[in-house]
Amino acid sequence: MRYLTFALGKGRLAKQTLALFEKIGITCHEMKEKDSRKLIFVNEDLKLKFFLSKGPDVPTYVEYGAADIGVAGRDTILEEGRNVYEVLDLGFGKCRMCVCGPIEAQEALNSRELIRVATKYPKIAKNYFYNKKHQTVELIKLNGSIELAPIVGLSEVIVDIVETGSTLRENGLCVLEEICPLSARMIVNQVSMKMEYERITKLIRDINQLSAETSL
Amino acid sequence: MIQKRLHTPEGVRDIYNEECGQKLILQETLQRVLWQYGFSAIETPSFEFFDVFGQEIGTVPSKDLYKFFDREGNTLVLRPDITPSVARLAASYFSEDDMPKRLWYQGHVFINNSSYQGRLKETTQLGAELIGDDSIEADAELLVLAVRLLLAAGLTDFQLALGHVGFFRSLIQAADLDEDVTAEITALIENKNFFGVEEVLAPLSLPPALKELFGKLGGFYQNTDSLEKVKELAKDYPEVAKSIDRIAAVYEVLVLYGVEGHISIELSILSPYHYYTGIIFAGYTYGSGEAVVKGGRYDHLLSGFGKNAPSIGFAITIDQLMATLYRQKISLPGLQECRVIEYAPEELKDAIKQAEALRLQGESVLLQKR
Repeated sequence: MRYLTFALGKGRLAKQTLALFEKIGITCHEMKEKDSRKLIFVNEDLKLKFFLSKGPDVPTYVEYGAADIGVAGRDTILEEGRNVYEVLDLGFGKCRMCVCGPIEAQEALNSRELIRVATKYPKIAKNYFYNKKHQTVELIKLNGSIELAPIVGLSEVIVDIVETGSTLRENGLCVLEEICPLSARMIVNQVSMKMEYERITKLIRDINQLSAETSL
Repeated sequence: MIQKRLHTPEGVRDIYNEECGQKLILQETLQRVLWQYGFSAIETPSFEFFDVFGQEIGTVPSKDLYKFFDREGNTLVLRPDITPSVARLAASYFSEDDMPKRLWYQGHVFINNSSYQGRLKETTQLGAELIGDDSIEADAELLVLAVRLLLAAGLTDFQLALGHVGFFRSLIQAADLDEDVTAEITALIENKNFFGVEEVLAPLSLPPALKELFGKLGGFYQNTDSLEKVKELAKDYPEVAKSIDRIAAVYEVLVLYGVEGHISIELSILSPYHYYTGIIFAGYTYGSGEAVVKGGRYDHLLSGFGKNAPSIGFAITIDQLMATLYRQKISLPGLQECRVIEYAPEELKDAIKQAEALRLQGESVLLQKR
């Protein structure tokens, strides 16, 4: 049997995914060893391989077939725009992609003025403003601490992930418009989906059943 | 300046040494199969008027085309796909009496992909089209040809997913969904997120049989028995049933050819090319994230060029096929071994004589001054 390879985004997402996999009988003890310097972890009984990568790279690994299956946030999937199958909403890591800023910026949004938008997600922001709102904006790509931009006057608004909104409130910002809901998704390589149809579908079915049971 | 000119622009590349020879031999191998099935070769120009690839024809989105102008200001396009050119050619040179016409072509196609996705913007495509034949046998013949070509290339582990554009299109029509829901469901199906489809449809009041039919989109069948159940559900929806019947009938002919091991029936395959009207298929194998062969029936494409001729065709991307062969470690036949004849200046006359004699016998000979 061929190995099925999983790419998981480092951090909380990977932990939650492994916890979910454990519940349907997929374990990887090698991964729990804290001091391990290994990059690839193997479950020989089930012929599975796991590796951790940076979140936004997960769709890339899956697109090229370096991993058959990946788990990534919907934000990275949308931003990367890779050719993969997004087969399942895993239901955790829930948050929203929003346009945020000081409350005064609402007026500029409504009047469709030319505004500056700072974001880590230029593709999502561009798609939202150009194709949905039909508003011309200046996009400014930042790599972190996006909330800073409107405070120091780099931009009027930002496009960013909002989980609880507490960082925003502490800095005098608020959610102005919601772009889309986000959560962790399971993605599958298009060729693997055909070649390993039985195994992958069983996995999807098991997880879906589990999440249906837990939500009851 | 000299240094800057050494590398090629992003998305295009040089092919040299062994790889180039292997590519040519692979193409020759594939061409032999096409001749064997009675297809004749054609060539169309690398660029054409914009209209040939325009929105009504429904190929690659306009923003991904390489466009430029001729001296009179007409918009020209580097072809992104050869099928529309073949349709134009067939519509202008062949009358209905010439039909059916079996054609094959090979050429470069150009798509202005977005950057950093590691995709080539110029690739070599080899394809076949059967024009003016709407029969089940024609569908099967082209599918068989696609299987034979992949086998001839040396692949053994591959699957051709077979579907019908009519299945999903008529389901949407029967359900009478509005534009937004249709777009949402289409996106979900393109992503094979069938639980998502269920969720979207759950609150809608649709007949149970129709909902169950939507559920069947996720199926993946290796024989026609399970299609019977789908057909049973579709008895009130003649258009849906028609697409199932067609798939089943084509599959039966494929069994006669003995290639059914490489075929799986997948009702959910969709194509971004709007010109497809009947069965569609895509071939997948390890080592490539995308299909290596794509094709389908296009019954109205030629009418866009003023002739009625139901047709079916497919194209193989040679560069992708080469990549999968390398990654699956399948050895490609190389060029014939070349014999080297070394000669001292005074032996020139004899060396030439010997080399030419060997070449006449079909050997490869390299003459080298010592």
